[in-house]
Amino acid sequence: MNKTQTNSVGFSLSSDRVSVIILLIPALIFCTVFIFIPAFWAIVGSFYSYGMTSLNDWKWVGFDNYIKASQDEFFWIALKNNFIIVFASIVLQVGVGTILAAILDRGIKYGKVIFRTIIFTPMVISSVAVSIIWLIIYDPNVGILNSILKSIGLPTPSMGWLGDPDISIWMIMIVAGWQNTGFMMVLILAGLQGVSKEVYDAAEIDGATGVKAFWYITLPMIRNILIVAILITTIGAFKVFEFVYVLTQGGPSNATQVLGTYIYLQAFNLLHMGYANALSVVLLIIALILGWFQLKASRRA
Amino acid sequence: MSKFKLANIFAYGFVTLFSIYVLLPIIVMILTTFKTRREIFLEPLGLPGQFNFSSFEKALSIGLGGFIFNSFLVSLFSVILIVIISGMAAYVLARIDFRINRYVYLLIVAGFAIPPAAVLVPLYATVSNLGLLNSIYGVVMPLTAFGIPFTVILFYAFFLDFPKEVEEAATIDGCSKMQIFFRIIIPLSGPAIASAAIFQTVWIWNEFLLALIMLTSDEVKTLPLGLMKLRGEWSSDWPSIMAGLTIAILPVLIVFLIFQKYFVRSLAGLGK
Repeated sequence: MNKTQTNSVGFSLSSDRVSVIILLIPALIFCTVFIFIPAFWAIVGSFYSYGMTSLNDWKWVGFDNYIKASQDEFFWIALKNNFIIVFASIVLQVGVGTILAAILDRGIKYGKVIFRTIIFTPMVISSVAVSIIWLIIYDPNVGILNSILKSIGLPTPSMGWLGDPDISIWMIMIVAGWQNTGFMMVLILAGLQGVSKEVYDAAEIDGATGVKAFWYITLPMIRNILIVAILITTIGAFKVFEFVYVLTQGGPSNATQVLGTYIYLQAFNLLHMGYANALSVVLLIIALILGWFQLKASRRA
Repeated sequence: MSKFKLANIFAYGFVTLFSIYVLLPIIVMILTTFKTRREIFLEPLGLPGQFNFSSFEKALSIGLGGFIFNSFLVSLFSVILIVIISGMAAYVLARIDFRINRYVYLLIVAGFAIPPAAVLVPLYATVSNLGLLNSIYGVVMPLTAFGIPFTVILFYAFFLDFPKEVEEAATIDGCSKMQIFFRIIIPLSGPAIASAAIFQTVWIWNEFLLALIMLTSDEVKTLPLGLMKLRGEWSSDWPSIMAGLTIAILPVLIVFLIFQKYFVRSLAGLGK
């Protein structure tokens, strides 16, 4: 937040005070009713046991839900998967997005707009639709992935691409990368286009061109935008829901659960509302830590 | 010289391969809609024998039009609320030296960080207590709340760069803060409003988790829920499922291709 914001537009009359409050209050009411009060109740509710049909019949259980979580293998798998998705998304989406952006910025002469449009397109398609399309691609019977591999004589996984717990989370990452890499590319491309031509001319005189110029000149200059991209990707990785819900429902045998789908499963399939709240609190803490980083990054930027 | 050529081949090769990766699933989707169920089993890689539109009719018969209409209403209401409410709050934050601004901004950033899954059960209870389950307002209200923090941050950055002279002149002419906001700031904020509206529309049009828990009867379901219904009811009738997806995706793709410059610009502004 900019502390030196100027105040030349004044604020003295009491009618102004009223307008300020009127302007500010709707945003605060919406966020309070639908975000902050629910967050408070998630914390309180995590110390109780209750179900969907007994939404008002709460039974105090102390830290039992948290103890249960610490012993729940699937909770740890879900948490681990979220971290795998963070790591893989940073490499696949931000990393590949940066390479694509660099190529579109200075690497090629022709077809920039066409390539940019194609690669960005998945961003506007709903994740549910994207996941269903990939279901048919991965399908063991009618999918083109198996057909292509068979036609060139390569083996295909016997349990199917999404049925093998060792590879299913990576199959989900391929879908997530398909949808989100273009967004990262556009974000980073905007940063690259802000780097002036003079910088490259100067670098060329010093003998830095191509990949060398990219590594030593470009990357440090777009450092802030890369931090923003990594933060957006990390926050997004903890919000992952649709890809897992549609592609694997968290399976096979919970190997691809993430916090989002596991909270949903506990709350709305198993009706363990209190336990779901405890899992939500874990997600809440992670989210607030990331939000704090976001605040630091935006102040520096 | 040959080194330069090699770099060129790598650059074009990389973007071309990535474009194929992006286009292939879309091509599969469109081709599958025209195939018969027999064809997709016998020759997954083959082209459709003839253009067969029956799967489109089947997809429309399940009520896809209604789901699209619900998504349209949810997006329209939410985006209008988000843009107006966020604009008002961001204006106060950026322009008026108000004591609590600092804390409001902290709340906004916290609100941005919190995902719906982290408040899922109490949010469901809230909407239930408001009597809004199975009503599109049961998703419009929470989606508006979750859209506000991000949009406030977007507008805040825009208003900071906004020239102050106009507002000063209006203040001298005796306009109140409310009048300045609605008569001067809003009409001059076209680009910021477009950015915010585009970004939020894409997000809300595709939102799934909140719709999934709040909307259970078919009359109020949004498009992503409708697509799941297609998938659930037809399981292996891939041509019909893909026809449903094509109908759902095509309008958005066309709008995107027409306005892609604005889409790209709106998202590119986020990094600033």
